[in-house]
Amino acid sequence: MKPAQDSRTALLFLLPLLLTVLIFIAAPVAGTIVESFFRDVTFLPRRFLGVDNFRSLLADRSFHQSVRFTLLFTFASVPLEVALGLIFALVLNRPLPGRGLLRAAVLVPWAIPAAVSGRTFELIYNYSYGLANYLVLTLGVSEAPVNWLGSSYGAFASLVIADAWRTTPFVAIILLAGLSAIPDELYDQATIDGATGLQQFARVTLPLLKPVLTVALLFRTIDALRVFDVAYVITGGGPGGSTNALSLYGYQYFLSGDFGYGSAISVVLFALALILSIFYVRLSGFGRVLT
Amino acid sequence: MKTERPGSLPMLVAAIFLLIFCLLPFGYMVLTSFARRPDYLRGNEGLTFTLENYHDILSAQSLHFLDYLRNSLVISGLSAACAVAIAALAAYALTRLSIPGKGAILFGVLAASLFPQVSLVSYLFKMMNALGWINTWPALILPYIGWVLPLSLWILVSYFAQIPLDLDRAALVDGCSRRQILMRVILPVAAPGIFSTFLLAFIFAFNEFLFALVLSVDHRARTIPVGIALFQGLHGQIPWGRIMAASVFTTLPVVALTLFFQRRIVQGLTRGAIKG
Amino acid sequence: MKRSTIWILGLCLVLPLFGCRQQPEARLTFAIGGAPAELDVWEELVQRFSEQTGIAVEMLRQPTDSNQRRQGLLIPLKARQADPDVFLMDVVWLAQFSASGWLLPLDEDVSDQFLPRVVDLVDRRGGNLMALPVNVDAGLLYYRKDLLKRYGFAGPPATWAELASQAGTVQAGERGEHSGFWGYLWQGAEYEGLICDFLEVAASAGGGIVENGRFVLDRPANRRALAFLTGLIHDEAVSPPNTYTQMREEEVREAFQNGRALFERNWPYAWAQHQSAGSAVAGKVGIAPLPHFPGGEPAATLGGWHIGISRYTDTPEQARALVRYVTSFPVQKEMALRLGWNPGRRDVYRDPRVLAELPYLGQLREIFDHAVARPVLPYYNQLSQILQRHLNAALAGWVPPEEALRKAQAEIEAVTARYRTGRSR
Repeated sequence: MKPAQDSRTALLFLLPLLLTVLIFIAAPVAGTIVESFFRDVTFLPRRFLGVDNFRSLLADRSFHQSVRFTLLFTFASVPLEVALGLIFALVLNRPLPGRGLLRAAVLVPWAIPAAVSGRTFELIYNYSYGLANYLVLTLGVSEAPVNWLGSSYGAFASLVIADAWRTTPFVAIILLAGLSAIPDELYDQATIDGATGLQQFARVTLPLLKPVLTVALLFRTIDALRVFDVAYVITGGGPGGSTNALSLYGYQYFLSGDFGYGSAISVVLFALALILSIFYVRLSGFGRVLT
Repeated sequence: MKTERPGSLPMLVAAIFLLIFCLLPFGYMVLTSFARRPDYLRGNEGLTFTLENYHDILSAQSLHFLDYLRNSLVISGLSAACAVAIAALAAYALTRLSIPGKGAILFGVLAASLFPQVSLVSYLFKMMNALGWINTWPALILPYIGWVLPLSLWILVSYFAQIPLDLDRAALVDGCSRRQILMRVILPVAAPGIFSTFLLAFIFAFNEFLFALVLSVDHRARTIPVGIALFQGLHGQIPWGRIMAASVFTTLPVVALTLFFQRRIVQGLTRGAIKG
Repeated sequence: MKRSTIWILGLCLVLPLFGCRQQPEARLTFAIGGAPAELDVWEELVQRFSEQTGIAVEMLRQPTDSNQRRQGLLIPLKARQADPDVFLMDVVWLAQFSASGWLLPLDEDVSDQFLPRVVDLVDRRGGNLMALPVNVDAGLLYYRKDLLKRYGFAGPPATWAELASQAGTVQAGERGEHSGFWGYLWQGAEYEGLICDFLEVAASAGGGIVENGRFVLDRPANRRALAFLTGLIHDEAVSPPNTYTQMREEEVREAFQNGRALFERNWPYAWAQHQSAGSAVAGKVGIAPLPHFPGGEPAATLGGWHIGISRYTDTPEQARALVRYVTSFPVQKEMALRLGWNPGRRDVYRDPRVLAELPYLGQLREIFDHAVARPVLPYYNQLSQILQRHLNAALAGWVPPEEALRKAQAEIEAVTARYRTGRSR
């Protein structure tokens, strides 16, 4: 072992990684943060504003609406995805016949781009002839067609369902990994001790699943905060701006040529994601696992 | 493997629910792609089977569907390949060589993957603008490398960590350099893992939307997700039949890939998740 | 050097080549959007231009939605790209493009052949002519002559109250046979079109967006207008619930064209479509100015598309030739005849054949001279988005009209202040 040579090799091997992350992730984020302190509009001269963009955000009603939606969406869709993912993982963990088919079926939603499945859901939620209202009317859930994309609850639910459809597979797979790592003996022992299926689930499965659940929760929460594709495609932020996710709101300002304000919105979103991540990491002692 | 446990009826019900939940929207997508009119559920006409949707999207030049597909395949393929290459190098270094701040690097890369895309897109636009690369392939390939790199790194680190160090030691004793060890010893052993990582990175890049929306303008660099999101047809208003045909045509290969390599993909994802 | 390093460096050198290969040679690119039927006509016109002049033109098909068309132009213009060279701009975001310095000034010599009010209002900046009107639009009321006759109405409604009652009567009668029949279809989805429809109703009550140079949204006339529109959906129920979620130009036109409505508010382009072969309502459609409130006047929102050249064009001479072609008398006349467009050129309005086929064109000239324009500001888009959101929320029935207008006004004032001073107060 030649340590000196090893260090050089290590540096060389790490260089592409560090360069890529620096140039295409760290620099853009830093650049956006800097942008947020400026007035950068296509039809006005550039000017340093200090924190004025953020002060304006604080007073911006549409911004409040956007934050409200983003947080509500996150805290509605993530538990749904995790719960469904857990059920699917439990199913996949069993030696049921057609297990390969089940696993394949689970991966289908994940393989389809969000924008593409978004358009499918846009059709599903079509008021006059979409699948959703067809089912609602045929199954007798309601007598009148539901205005999926037109009522505030409907639009919210539409997005949550569409997003959950696409992301539950990811959660299911991760949880499945955690499930298969639990040794059989624990279950056998519990059966001998006379525990019912439900009790086994609560006493054996859940505690051992906790680290993996935390990972899933963390990833899904961050992803839900930055949701863009489904909101853009299915509702476009409407109706009445009620589904205007923060990413979408920032993007709309870019489109208006106001890059400074849009950057400020992105910075807020980024800060939200950061705060929640730190919260999760602390809460779960995840940091210890990494080092 | 679990032995049969009481309560398999709920499990069966759950399994059926799983199938319906996952396949119903996809099935609806496929069905509509073969329908002459999208309102066949309303009951007036019923479903008229036709192939004209597929014919239209494949033959109409002005729809640029095949251009989008070509762009997506090239951009995703190249960026996934580069990302995996970079990640493999770094993963080897992180698992084999002594590096100060190893944990910090891994954590930093993980943190990098959590940034919202909208926080990057403004500056990336300026960067690509300054280089004159807007609406070209590199404008998307390079950010995509950054986009899929964290995931690739995490998966490969966990794969490489499981390859015994003895292999390295034996080769070092033989006088190989580190680079040679990586190329000749480790890579062949880790080939399945690298392949899975490539697949995952490819799918990730293929499905990306916001960067493509902002950094591309027309059929020269636009990708499938953006193309389908903004799809305008040849006649009438929202051409659902053609949109679904385009969607099915695009996703069928990806879905087929996924089904064919499901074992690998599942392994890859789970490794990334339960590292450590 | 290590092999992997060489490999990586090589990749870095190769990738830019992809960029170079993708960069096209200088050619004239014409970005055009609109309803699919319109795009087909444009292709023919462009084809003929190429044959006449020998200049090859690459047509870039854009979506129908005005916002998406703007997005498709804003990104290459901000990126100082050469393509597209020539494009059409909606009258509402023309000011943003022109103020951002993205347009090449046009030749002055033809400007007096176009509708002066429109040109002076929108197309000039700093003394230069930046764009020319290709078509001028104003909202119109389309109605089913046969249905009005069948139910014993003398003619189209003059006031909004009459419209609501006629719509209610006919809808009730027709619902037996056509379950999806609606009395009045109009654009209420959350997009620019909503502002146009609202403005027409509001202006016909004496309201509007600007008053004495200031933004005054919260005033009685506007409240009345918004309450009326909301009532059409929820109280009288003559407009469908998806009016405020999905109804835009094409959705409204298609439904009316399939015989599923009595009244339609739409731009003039719909006329040619309704009269086309295969249309269920051909020969049964009449046009009238939009109704008004008692004591007010009928109003129509000024719309239309203007042609401009990118400042970064790599083919300026060919671009000017294309602009000259599109704004020439024969082409403008053909657009009037085939698309039902109202040309920007004045002389077409006197052409006998045009007047024979589009009898309402004479009437329209008057409507244009009194059309209500939306504020010509570079940041109109931000204002519009705010107003759209609040109007849409009111239409959905979530917020009473007064509150919606009040909140919209507060936000608009904040945005305006931000662009003036950097702080929204």
